[in-house]
Amino acid sequence: MEKRCKILIIDDEEIVLDSCLQILSGGDYEIRTAGNGILGVDLAEKFRPDVIFVDLKMPGISGFEVLEKIQEIDPTIVTIVITGFATIGSAVEAMQKGAFDFLPKPFTPDELRLITRRGIEKRKLVLETLALRREKELLREHFAAIVSHELKSPLAAVQQYLYSLSNELSDQLTEDQQHRFERIQTRIGDLMQLIHTWLRAITVDIESIKENFAPTSIPVVISKAVESVDPHAIRKDIAIRTAVQDDIFPVLGDEGTLVEAVVNIVGNAVKYSPAGSHVEITAKNFDDEVAITIEDDGIGISSDDLPFIFEDFYTSRSDKQIEKGSGVGLALTKRIIEAHGGNVSVESELGEGSTFELRFPALINQPIELSPINNEFMNKT
Amino acid sequence: MDTKKKLLMIDDDPDFVEPIMAILENAGYEVDAKYNPDEGFEALKSGSYDLLLLDVLMGRGAEGIMIARKIGDDEKLRETPILIITGMREQIAFLFPGQPVHPSFVPTDELIEKPVEPDLLLEKVSTLIKMAEERKAQSELN
Ligand SMILES: Nc1ncnc2c1ncn2[C@@H]1O[C@H](COP(=O)(O)OP(=O)(O)OP(=O)(O)O)[C@@H](O)[C@H]1O
Ligand SMILES: [Mg+2]
Repeated sequence: MEKRCKILIIDDEEIVLDSCLQILSGGDYEIRTAGNGILGVDLAEKFRPDVIFVDLKMPGISGFEVLEKIQEIDPTIVTIVITGFATIGSAVEAMQKGAFDFLPKPFTPDELRLITRRGIEKRKLVLETLALRREKELLREHFAAIVSHELKSPLAAVQQYLYSLSNELSDQLTEDQQHRFERIQTRIGDLMQLIHTWLRAITVDIESIKENFAPTSIPVVISKAVESVDPHAIRKDIAIRTAVQDDIFPVLGDEGTLVEAVVNIVGNAVKYSPAGSHVEITAKNFDDEVAITIEDDGIGISSDDLPFIFEDFYTSRSDKQIEKGSGVGLALTKRIIEAHGGNVSVESELGEGSTFELRFPALINQPIELSPINNEFMNKT
Repeated sequence: MDTKKKLLMIDDDPDFVEPIMAILENAGYEVDAKYNPDEGFEALKSGSYDLLLLDVLMGRGAEGIMIARKIGDDEKLRETPILIITGMREQIAFLFPGQPVHPSFVPTDELIEKPVEPDLLLEKVSTLIKMAEERKAQSELN
């Protein structure tokens, strides 16, 4: 049997409380009432209702304050505000602040019953969504554990045997045999790298990087990212050009993951461009933001694919694809950027190339302290 | 090499012990292997080893870490250099929240990830042994 739904009504007019009780008594509800905001918040805490009606105009603490406190107690509780006709404006304001609906006074019994039923439906939906999300997270963690244990370690053992065999046989193999041996090792290495990327996308706790946020220099992030992608670009004869505004603001962030984010996007630009083309990176201040754009003349992204490229494991269906990827890079990149309070957008047309833009809140009026390593790095580039 | 260096490897997965031992023996080391933390710890106490190769993620509860800590607390054993070998760097990080990914258990140790390339393995092993020897000579001077 399902649990009875719990309803709390907070209103300073006894007549309202009484009539609500009467109207709803026919339904299968457990109902409590409170004559002022303080009592109401107290009951919300102890009684844990599914739906709460709050009168916006009460003496003592206001309906708005009550709504805020309820949010703090449990944001999944569905709140409905009761208002006089004269205060419809404040009902709208309450809804902007998270109230589910409003009930204008005076109301008919049917109106109250209907809005109650809708509130309860809403509450069920909220709880179900939450449960689903939790389940998805558990699955995510389990999947990571499965991948790491069941796939990664046997592969690592195979690779370890190959290492020792090639070590022992190094002077006995013909050149051809040596070549085949190396191919086996390379392919297994690739496979392990792939698993590693998946694992990283799934297990990495982006929220935890916030604990180590520090003023971070954009030119350093960009040079490090370029340095990491360059070998691949040189092999494809793709020139990476950078133009960074001299007095660009620093950002508050984690250098390591920021470099990773830029590497993923610049890496894609190189990966999805034909040999001989070029990639343009610019960084500029925009009011209180810092913008980094990465532009390529590559194969572009079709409008069918564009909305999905930031999703886990998504790769576009295009047959023009030059190289295959695992579809994880951008999903991870987006998570990193958002953890920094920034956002990423893209403009692209098939065959015309793509432009990715990253925006971060700038750290203004705070001179960046460069560590000796960073200094050296800056001088070098 | 004048006298053969003696190494102890503690890892519960024979499929890592065998190939890693083969590489080390091929390079002239003498290697003992133990397949669980308790036997490994006993062997370390009774034998005299120049280096320990330790899988820190043995078993369900990362028992390898427990013995690494036990070794670190032991006045005499902590002088043995340790090459920590791990299956998964990212899992190591969970075990030491807020710390650098490479935890230091004893004065001379280092961490590498499975699978280990022969050249890297041999280089780490000889460097660690040399570092421990220098440390010992230094402390005898003082
Ligand atoms: N600059 C680009 N030009 C054209 N297509 C792109 C570009 N960047 C991304 N894409 C498309 O978006 C998809 C998702 O990119 P994402 O970086 O997430 O994964 P990937 O490159 O396939 O693999 P990896 O996980 O190795 O990065 C790619 O498969 C590609 O089809
Ligand atoms: Mg990519």
